[in-house]
Amino acid sequence: MLNKSGAGESTSKGGWSVRSLLLVSVAAVLAVAVGLPAAGGPATSAPQAGGTLIIGRGVDSVTLSPYASASPDAEVISHVAETLYQLTPEGRIEPLLAERLPQMSPDGRSMTIRLRRGIRFHDGTPFDAAAVKWNFDFILNPENRAPFRAILLGEVTGVDVVDAYTVRLNLRRPFVPLLAHLTHDFLAIHSPTAVQRAGGMRPPTGEPYGRQPVGTGPFRFREWVRGDRIVLERNPDYWGPRKPLLDQVVFRAIPDDGARVLALEGGQIHVAVRVPPRETTRLALNRALRIDRTSSVRTIYIAFNNQKPPFTDARVRQAFNYAVNKRAIVQTVLGGAARVSDAPISPGIVGYAPIQPGGWPYDVDRAKRLLAEAGHGGGLNVTLLHPTGRYVQDAAVAAAVQAQLRAAGINARLQTMEWAAYLSFTNQPVDRTPVEMFMLGWGTVTGDADYGLFSLFHSSQWAPAGFNRFFYRNPQVDQLLEEARAITDPARRAATYKQAMELIWRDAPWLFLHSESQVTGLRREVQGLVVHPTERVLAHTAWLAR
Amino acid sequence: MWRYVLKRVLLALPVLLGVSVVVFVAIRLIPGDPAQIMAGQAATEEVVRQIRQSLGLDQPLPVQYLYFLRNVVRGDLGRSLFNGAPVVEELGQRFPRTVRLALASIVVASLIGVPAGILAATRHLSWLDTLVMLVALVGVSMPVFWLGLNLILVFSVRLQWVPAFGYETWRHLLLPSVTLGAASAAIVARMTRSSMLEVLGQDYIRTARAKGLAERVVVNRHALRNALIPVVTVLGLQLGTLLSGAVLTETVFAWPGIGRLLVDAVLARDYPIIQGATLLIAATFVALNLAVDLLYGLLDPRIRYE
Repeated sequence: MLNKSGAGESTSKGGWSVRSLLLVSVAAVLAVAVGLPAAGGPATSAPQAGGTLIIGRGVDSVTLSPYASASPDAEVISHVAETLYQLTPEGRIEPLLAERLPQMSPDGRSMTIRLRRGIRFHDGTPFDAAAVKWNFDFILNPENRAPFRAILLGEVTGVDVVDAYTVRLNLRRPFVPLLAHLTHDFLAIHSPTAVQRAGGMRPPTGEPYGRQPVGTGPFRFREWVRGDRIVLERNPDYWGPRKPLLDQVVFRAIPDDGARVLALEGGQIHVAVRVPPRETTRLALNRALRIDRTSSVRTIYIAFNNQKPPFTDARVRQAFNYAVNKRAIVQTVLGGAARVSDAPISPGIVGYAPIQPGGWPYDVDRAKRLLAEAGHGGGLNVTLLHPTGRYVQDAAVAAAVQAQLRAAGINARLQTMEWAAYLSFTNQPVDRTPVEMFMLGWGTVTGDADYGLFSLFHSSQWAPAGFNRFFYRNPQVDQLLEEARAITDPARRAATYKQAMELIWRDAPWLFLHSESQVTGLRREVQGLVVHPTERVLAHTAWLAR
Repeated sequence: MWRYVLKRVLLALPVLLGVSVVVFVAIRLIPGDPAQIMAGQAATEEVVRQIRQSLGLDQPLPVQYLYFLRNVVRGDLGRSLFNGAPVVEELGQRFPRTVRLALASIVVASLIGVPAGILAATRHLSWLDTLVMLVALVGVSMPVFWLGLNLILVFSVRLQWVPAFGYETWRHLLLPSVTLGAASAAIVARMTRSSMLEVLGQDYIRTARAKGLAERVVVNRHALRNALIPVVTVLGLQLGTLLSGAVLTETVFAWPGIGRLLVDAVLARDYPIIQGATLLIAATFVALNLAVDLLYGLLDPRIRYE
């Protein structure tokens, strides 16, 4: 019987006071809640068909035609239009629309590709050699001004139809990276009939076809409301062995990082890309969610103007590398969602090898000694240029670098500008540019070292003609990179790249920082989704558990 | 009155022309090359040059401007440099969404602000008055971003009452319009209060009270109508600001309106979109100002336009 005078003071028949009853029941509930296996949907049950997967990303696509130039475009294109070959997340190249790996001629100047048979585009027209040739001809035609023609197909002179299901690519000179380039979504095969029916593809944006692509992929294009969403629907006639399971895939643009995370928590989207590192601790406690961390092929670095003092002296460049504690930056600023660079390119890329395992050592004393040797014992004043909001925590990383450099007697003044201006500012020719040090990133999206090394470190690529915006020149490196383009034996090719990278590392044209990790938030019911190192979220084999 | 309207419309033309010149020149003077941005980091100089040429950006400025003007007169605002879509189409899609949001926000602002202001004025110097003014101060000082995200957190994530983003149904309108309306409500409340106070101090109010009328009648029938005149002006100006697109709210709620369009266009140096959008916003402002002035005339019989 409970006494009215207050809880805890009275006892009922069994000797339990109200207060202790309460405590026990709360404890019991907690025990059950904590003891429950990690809830969050069914464990690995069988894949189920149906449902609409909603992916939240920060930007909308620009065009879904071969005029695309960024990963948000590639991401959507890859669901609708397929390439001849595909790059697996582990970095292997496998045939997709091709039947098998290509055959190279002995002189390395022609590549013969056999295509799969019995495939149709979404509009019913057949996929065959003529369609492939049409696509390549379009891109190769300089009048069409396809933005990636020179970089991806620069060595290709033309494409021939050998028979209904065989094409041959003719090359100016042997170019081994070509196979990797064929995995690039900007070289996906679109239906020529659909392009013509839509009214063609006009430079520089691929309008009007670019708004409604037609390919052979597991999903068909359904709708695009600009700035808001792209809707794809399942292709029931997909040729591949792994049929698409989802009814629909929707890509929604939610520009604000915080709002995107909230939308994920509220269940309005199933996938949120680019979750800010600071949110991951909180989200990890949410049982309805899962955090996926996948490496990215994007390397972040701070480049020196190698032709401008004090950075003309290798000792100074090396000193800067010794002075910065990259591990600390990755741990604190990036919440562990990055990998300290141990080579000029990221792992997972063909030709990658760790050049200095663990990354450039952190040694402030050595940095000071090197600076003194180079005649800057009394300190150094430099300007560090960085973007804001372009790469994960870019401004914070720059501030951390500045703080660390101070310990070595280097006074770095930070300067930032908005991305568009930044691109122009850092692209000035060597005799005009005022830039001393600047932060940039480079994603080797072909999965092949040539794209990440030749484009950046070859002396023919000095800005503004190419992307060597830090004016690095080493004739030995040039030669090695040129040679590697023609070596067919993978082991020898890898060894050549290793040699080149060792030279580059020692020359230290950059302050080597880290490769980004992609932090993606998913609701637990999402299964089979692939976060690809080339910064694409792929739903080809995804399904929603119920 | 129609002569007045005509005069105002004619005066608007040089204003719009001036706006178009200033915007045209300004965006081309700031650093940043749309051809470079479009081509992306990996493109060669050759590609960038080709893009620039195909967009007509290599022509001298006055030539570019004349082309632009000629097209505007024909109703063609050009095509987006970035995705090739016709500017008129993009604006036509985005602007109505911003209008919906702006109108909803003004309704929220009025529904909260006007009664709050009246309450404060009629209970002048009481604790209620102070409270209303304090809340108004908070409302105006609160960052829109912070308020928006917190509303999403509470009403969308925790309570699951409304969606967090999107714009399709009336439910999607609730949180963004409250977020935007909050700051406006604060301004409206203060304006209503001070205007009411001024009117309540007038002689004719004293007469009405002396006649023995109930306070409610005095306030509602005699004071309110006159007090609302400056409030209407404020509401009109607030609407103008909201129509130029509340970028922060549109970003937080992923509301694809004209504010975000304009900011994204500036960041991408998408000249035709920037020009078209600012022209549209300027024209809206002009029209809105005219409407407010005419409304003023309707409300206050002493004002007549010649």
